[in-house]
Amino acid sequence: MKILYIDTTSSYLYSGIVEEGKLLTEVKEELGKDLSSNTLPKIEEMFQKIQLQPEDIDKIIVVNGPGSFTGIRVGVTIAKTYAYSLKKKITTISSLEAMALSSKKETKFQIPIIDARRNYVYAAIYEQERNPILKPQYIKLDTLKCAVEQLIGSYQYISNQEFTDFAIENYDPDILKIVNAYQEKEEVNPHAVNPIYLKQTEAEEKQNLELI
Amino acid sequence: MKDIYILGIETSCDETSASIVKNGCEEIATVVLSQIDIHKDFGGVVPEIASRHHVKNITMVIEECLEKAGMDIKEMSGIAVTYGPGLVGSLLVGIEAAKTLAFVNHLPLIPVNHMSGHIYANELVKPLAFPLIALVISGGHTELIYMKDHYQFQKIGGTLDDAVGECYDKVARVMDVPYPGGPTIDQWAHEGEDTYSLPLPLNDQSYDFSFSGLKSAVINLVHNENQRGNEIRKKDLACSFQNVVVEMITKKTMKALKDYQVSNLIVGGGVAASKGIRDKLMELCDKESITYSFPERKYCTDNAAMIAASGYHAYLLGQRADLHLNPQSSLELNSRK
Repeated sequence: MKILYIDTTSSYLYSGIVEEGKLLTEVKEELGKDLSSNTLPKIEEMFQKIQLQPEDIDKIIVVNGPGSFTGIRVGVTIAKTYAYSLKKKITTISSLEAMALSSKKETKFQIPIIDARRNYVYAAIYEQERNPILKPQYIKLDTLKCAVEQLIGSYQYISNQEFTDFAIENYDPDILKIVNAYQEKEEVNPHAVNPIYLKQTEAEEKQNLELI
Repeated sequence: MKDIYILGIETSCDETSASIVKNGCEEIATVVLSQIDIHKDFGGVVPEIASRHHVKNITMVIEECLEKAGMDIKEMSGIAVTYGPGLVGSLLVGIEAAKTLAFVNHLPLIPVNHMSGHIYANELVKPLAFPLIALVISGGHTELIYMKDHYQFQKIGGTLDDAVGECYDKVARVMDVPYPGGPTIDQWAHEGEDTYSLPLPLNDQSYDFSFSGLKSAVINLVHNENQRGNEIRKKDLACSFQNVVVEMITKKTMKALKDYQVSNLIVGGGVAASKGIRDKLMELCDKESITYSFPERKYCTDNAAMIAASGYHAYLLGQRADLHLNPQSSLELNSRK
């Protein structure tokens, strides 16, 4: 079974193709503003490099957030369109799960963290990589820090962004490990694959305030 | 000759649409999913919300279109997609979907300018006759374009500030008509009488338009009357307002036809559905023996059939995009691409 992994939820493209526990090819590159223009060309390059056709893929694992709203939509749109059009299996995972799984430090807790601006972050706390103690959420940085202070045992923050407040393990996705961990995850209908933003739009937030 | 089927995709604003058009003129199936009810609550299109709905619906819209046509994507000759002008986040979803369809099905990708789509919506009525003047009037655009032949676009005039449809919506808002208020203003204009005096902006020899002064004049008039405790006769004000708009648009359009010695006029865009503008243009064209065409109402507002129709001609001209295709929020119509 050949599995295509796609994560465009940050300014990086993380993508790879895995077959029977082997990573055939991968790309990890900061694309920044070129994320939308370059993601598909980079994926096409991977296919060419290992001489595969889009039809040869059996399953797609797409990271559907949280992270950059536009970034999430790039990966999710590509993945759901691909799966729908070629009738491929598809499943989603959270960017925070992928980050926790990729930690190379042997701590008890993993704390993946993504900047959401204005002193807010998207974060979660996992125990032993998979078990969420604090589920993925949009949370004030100070509130997260309070929760972290309650932890009993070693912990590690993980991010591909810079935070000045604490030591960060730089996020370097272990695509093979992520795919192996989630390849059996239940597949979903491609039409139902949607971004998980964890945050309303500003217009909706403002409207909710007015309703109160 | 083999029939050419183009699958068009349009997501430049708040409509998610897919359509299959045969040989550039025969609409086979079209699906338009409008988000208008969602944006109504916010008094206008909220870009981030629009993008979120596009990504949610895009594959369902494409599937429904193919099912409606009873066709397989492998039967398409190419995938045409709007790449601008429009909201970047909205365009992005259609573009990524179109690029993916092209990539996984080994099909050519055809970039289409949204404005060109509004012009080519007329091909779904009858073949374009050249040379022609195209008047594109919508919520985002107000332009006069001269065309010698297919895909030879020469912009000769346009709005210097607001688009005409935008002006309608803002005038509607000051009269407490919920978004989008354009159609209501058009309706009221027919029921009211032209009793308010409003300035005719940019009454000059250019082919350009200006609507912000007119918009301000209406807003000021409403505020002043409210302050004096006078009630606004909304239908009359709508009539006076629309008369000014119609006069400005028809005057510049007829001048362009005359100056360029062109006897074909085509009109496109959401405001082309306005009865006030349609009626006046038809009357003037009949008088001057100018042939004209308006798209069917359903093809005036944003839709993918017009993108597929335009994409057909781009396809014949060999215009292709690769997988790097990116949204362009402000994209001019020109003959280069």
